[in-house]
Amino acid sequence: MATFLVRRILGAIPIIFGVALVVFILFNVVGGDPALMMVGKHATAQQIADIRHEYGLDQPLIIQFFHYLKDIATFDFGRSYATRQKISDMIANGIGPSLSLTLPAFTLTTLVSVALGLLVSYFRGKVIDRVSVILCVIGMSIPSLGYILFGQYYLAYELRWFPISGYDYSFPGRFEYLFLPMILWLMLSIGYDVRFYRTAMLEETTQDYVRTARAKGLSEPKVFFKHVLKNSMVPIVTNVVLEIPLLILGSFLFETFFGIPGLGSITIDALHNSDFPVIKTMAFVTSLLLIFGNIVTDVVYALVDPRVKLK
Amino acid sequence: MMNRKNPLVLVSAFALVAAGMFSGCSKKNELDQTNTFYTSSIAKIKGLDPAFADDLYSGIETTRIYEGLMQYEYLKRPYTLKPALAEAMPTLSKDGKTYTFKLKKGIVFQDDKAFKASNGKGRELVAEDFAYSFKRLADPKLNSPMWWLFDGKIEGLNEWRDAAQKAGKPDYSAKVSGLKVVDATTLEIKLKTRSYQFIYSLAMPATSAVAHEVVEEYGPEFLNHPVGTGAFKLAEYNPSSQIVYVRNPSFREDFYPTEGEASDTAEGLLADAGKKVPFVDKIVMTVHTESQPQWLNFMQGKLDAAPIPKDNFAQAITASKELTPELKSKGIHLVKEPSLDITHTSFNMTDPLVGKNKLLRQAISMVVNVPEEIELFYNGRAVSAQGPIPPGLAGYDESLKNPYKEFNIEKAKELLKKAGYPDGKGLPPLEYLSLADSTARQMTEYFQKSLTAIGIQLKVQTFSWPEFQQSLKNKKGQMWSFAWGADYPDAENFLQLFYSKNFSPGPNDSNFSSPEFDKLYEKSLTLNDSAERTAIYKKMAAIVIEETPWVFGVHRVTYGLSHPWLKNYKPHEFLHGMSKYYKIDTSLRK
Repeated sequence: MATFLVRRILGAIPIIFGVALVVFILFNVVGGDPALMMVGKHATAQQIADIRHEYGLDQPLIIQFFHYLKDIATFDFGRSYATRQKISDMIANGIGPSLSLTLPAFTLTTLVSVALGLLVSYFRGKVIDRVSVILCVIGMSIPSLGYILFGQYYLAYELRWFPISGYDYSFPGRFEYLFLPMILWLMLSIGYDVRFYRTAMLEETTQDYVRTARAKGLSEPKVFFKHVLKNSMVPIVTNVVLEIPLLILGSFLFETFFGIPGLGSITIDALHNSDFPVIKTMAFVTSLLLIFGNIVTDVVYALVDPRVKLK
Repeated sequence: MMNRKNPLVLVSAFALVAAGMFSGCSKKNELDQTNTFYTSSIAKIKGLDPAFADDLYSGIETTRIYEGLMQYEYLKRPYTLKPALAEAMPTLSKDGKTYTFKLKKGIVFQDDKAFKASNGKGRELVAEDFAYSFKRLADPKLNSPMWWLFDGKIEGLNEWRDAAQKAGKPDYSAKVSGLKVVDATTLEIKLKTRSYQFIYSLAMPATSAVAHEVVEEYGPEFLNHPVGTGAFKLAEYNPSSQIVYVRNPSFREDFYPTEGEASDTAEGLLADAGKKVPFVDKIVMTVHTESQPQWLNFMQGKLDAAPIPKDNFAQAITASKELTPELKSKGIHLVKEPSLDITHTSFNMTDPLVGKNKLLRQAISMVVNVPEEIELFYNGRAVSAQGPIPPGLAGYDESLKNPYKEFNIEKAKELLKKAGYPDGKGLPPLEYLSLADSTARQMTEYFQKSLTAIGIQLKVQTFSWPEFQQSLKNKKGQMWSFAWGADYPDAENFLQLFYSKNFSPGPNDSNFSSPEFDKLYEKSLTLNDSAERTAIYKKMAAIVIEETPWVFGVHRVTYGLSHPWLKNYKPHEFLHGMSKYYKIDTSLRK
């Protein structure tokens, strides 16, 4: 296990370098000039030159890339060009609100989806299964914005069941504002997730060990709950564990519409403003999270499936 | 054992949390009965450092806390200045170059730990604070986007900036000849050349007074620790979601205006004339970057005032541009205010094709059906722009009819023929730069369709905002659409967009150049508001109309809504520091 972890962590270094290189090239090719964004509408050539000099944007690209790598290596993310806020503070302040929304919403969605996936696969081919598949496809076809606009207008504005938007830093006061986005998250994700888990579980029902269990005379519920659910854990774990680290990054649409001060919009805002320090930090954080997610997934595989060995 | 219990525990916990939420909802659905003004911003706030308040939203938030030497009259139109921290309007030397300001006495900064000498008690404002604050705008390390206000204008300030650049750090103790602190309450500002627009700079958020102790105490975090002399002070701060302000107990004596427009008395806007401000105890500003939550919160009474989103216009306004019965029944009040702005489609005058062919530009200008465009894209909330100067400013001529703004396809075809491209033959597709957002795309498609009527094709390139900016500043592309909002209420702010010394990357994005225009522009800068200057403005407008470096678009009209409990609410083009005048009648907030 230790060797495996060391190897994977070392293997992450070239991946992060590659991500950094791609982000740097993309930013310099299509990113726009940050100096123009900082200087405002009354720019003069002199002031643009001054800003470029001040931020090292007039240095050769190779030197700029070297500074970028140094910043990553030292975890010195600096300040945003656009807001001049400390990037580490921006991330630290946004993680809490983002996770307050995404973690419970994701947990709830996963629990409900796995339960429904198991249920409909148990009733495969029956009315309940067919209706569920139709509902799932309908659910998947509705754009996420549709759910948000509907929820905000009918559930929050017309029926007044929830606040329309907002956020409260207190705990558990924040959940009053997060309950509606959580419900909408569930509605938005359930179609895809139930179909995914249903397929994973149905795949298991065709396996020999299920036939053996049935031949032994085990009841159908026992076959499903004791054998099928347990053995379909590998795809479930892949889906869940890979997504968990990314929950930190929040949800752009939900956070924007519901006024949740999370990390969801941080990258979008940075792209909009040619805010390279934030772009490079978020690219770095995202790649770290993905690598971490992959490593955890492999470890969890080994835990849930005895056939998997970590070498 | 544990495995069997866990699901039950989870379900019970979830049910408890859900119950808690629902019980809380009913409480939060009630409207606040405290003396609080609830407002919102459609953009995130970039911090509260005046030196970086270069957008409308940051400007509004910054000036709840900070104040400058001058401010705008709240009710009077056309927009005029009055003293803020200055005791009276400044005196101007005979050569028109030196302004002398006397400061009001007894003004103190809000308490903060940065004032170590007074154990955190806010010290008195002195003239040196303004000299320091103005130098900050020139500080090359700070790179304020508002440096343009003073660049090349104040004697010795550019030299101070150059010296700071050479030394690698600014020396705030070094004297600047144009910023003379005569005594604790007297500041002399000496300009390099006469400029009658300069005084407007002193009413802008960027020129507010900051205390050097606070800047030094917080360093780069100063933007998150505002300490001013204004009517409110910071209570809670999250610039990307919500900012809460409370009344500043040490705020000076300031009063609600006693004069306004003729209609203000009937509107009840002078009911509090002469009363001490501010009226509200607290301001809660929430960021709504999407219009739906902003609109719904307003309709539920959670916001006291709001603009009308394009998509909700029909719900709020009838065909006759009045409030719908639904909104009227809620007692909602509609206010309309012409904006000092202009939308336009620029031609790149450095382009060998469109820049050298006036007839081609005039032909293009004539194919745009502006009234239709106003209905389609502005819900009728705009007036056609005949020239570069918006209504409400000296130089605007209501009777002016731009001959190239008439929607006339036949005449446009004639002009195109004269331009050398009959029915567009021989004319390559014109390179048009557009932003990638949906409204810009729709407007581009509309323009593209309009031009096909005379046989002109557009080659549209869509960009993100940074790429769009970069293309404009590097003089790429042949045409693009843009808008300009007034920095101050003087036509000069619009006419400078055609001054050749303001070529890209400056604000003259069409790179228009006319020696005759430049001469008139330079002359206008030396003149005070007078009939002579207005005549020059009109001449400059006529040159621009004839040369057509822009297809003039529209001047927008702001439609604002407010609830009946919000009193003294009047839209203002320069909303800096106006929240002190708003009043809440809590008995009506139900």
